[in-house]
Amino acid sequence: MSPRLQVTHLATWPDDLVRMPAAGGGGEQPLPKLGEMPPMMRRRVEPLGRMALHVAYASQGQDAPLPVIFASRYGDVPRSIALLRQLVDGQTPSPTAFSLSVHNAFGALWSIAGGHTASYTAIAAGDETVEAAFTEAIGLLADGTPAVMVVCYDEPLPAPYDVYAGYPDTAHAWACRLRLGDGAGISLSSVPADANAPAGAAADVAPDRSADRRVLGFLKSDAAALDHRAGARLWQWRRHA
Amino acid sequence: MHEPLEQEIKLLIIEALNLEDVGADDIDPDAPLFVDGLGLDSIDALELGLALQKRYGVTLSAESEETRRHFASVRALSRFVADSRTA
Repeated sequence: MSPRLQVTHLATWPDDLVRMPAAGGGGEQPLPKLGEMPPMMRRRVEPLGRMALHVAYASQGQDAPLPVIFASRYGDVPRSIALLRQLVDGQTPSPTAFSLSVHNAFGALWSIAGGHTASYTAIAAGDETVEAAFTEAIGLLADGTPAVMVVCYDEPLPAPYDVYAGYPDTAHAWACRLRLGDGAGISLSSVPADANAPAGAAADVAPDRSADRRVLGFLKSDAAALDHRAGARLWQWRRHA
Repeated sequence: MHEPLEQEIKLLIIEALNLEDVGADDIDPDAPLFVDGLGLDSIDALELGLALQKRYGVTLSAESEETRRHFASVRALSRFVADSRTA
């Protein structure tokens, strides 16, 4: 039997992310102030980082810090584009931007700002990023960690990479805590896509938004199933009463 | 002595290092820039070195003891820029 996950402490940015249209909408919201973080660290955090860290703080609350998995398909791409442009123009790239352009930069800021010694990791796995994050979480839980936090975040691909975007998106972030449950809860498994007839319309719907947002919608609903086809794999999210 | 330059360098520090909530008047020209005073760190040192290079054409060696002295305070930095600027 695949492990059953108890999903709690869901936090999103914007607050009404689940009800937001697939694209647009986030731009009108003021960015999170991130008052939890010391100003000398906060000054270096760009919009996507503010969203990701905001939901991490919201999900953690006052509780002891958990091991955390930061998951983003594209990460802080605008920073990398800015660095590449500086190189093309023959300028010396900004040391600050360079130091924060790595995928685990938000996790590093998170752990330094809070003095956390719990483990953290940063994952990017294309269209399957959210499933990779939950798989990592299940691994940590199976290894004896009592609870894990997952933070998912992305924003629309900026030019010139926007031509590669496969679905409409809006800047967003969400976080939740996971622990193992007995019997009831959420399960995640993958099967070869070819060996399975589409499990109803859900399997073959063209993506209208990122996989992590569809998974968030599933987690916030009481739906029994969400299927996500990614290449040769079919990811099966299931809810067990 | 170099007061207009000191003011200019304070503004450069605030802008280059994105010091939200810090005004030029908040920076004591004699206070240490790093760790104790303004609380800047090693990444700021690199960023500030780059900003000074772009603005005034001065070159700072990352390793030298002299650089440490120049970076001691806004006043020390202004003295250094006044003596070695090419732009």
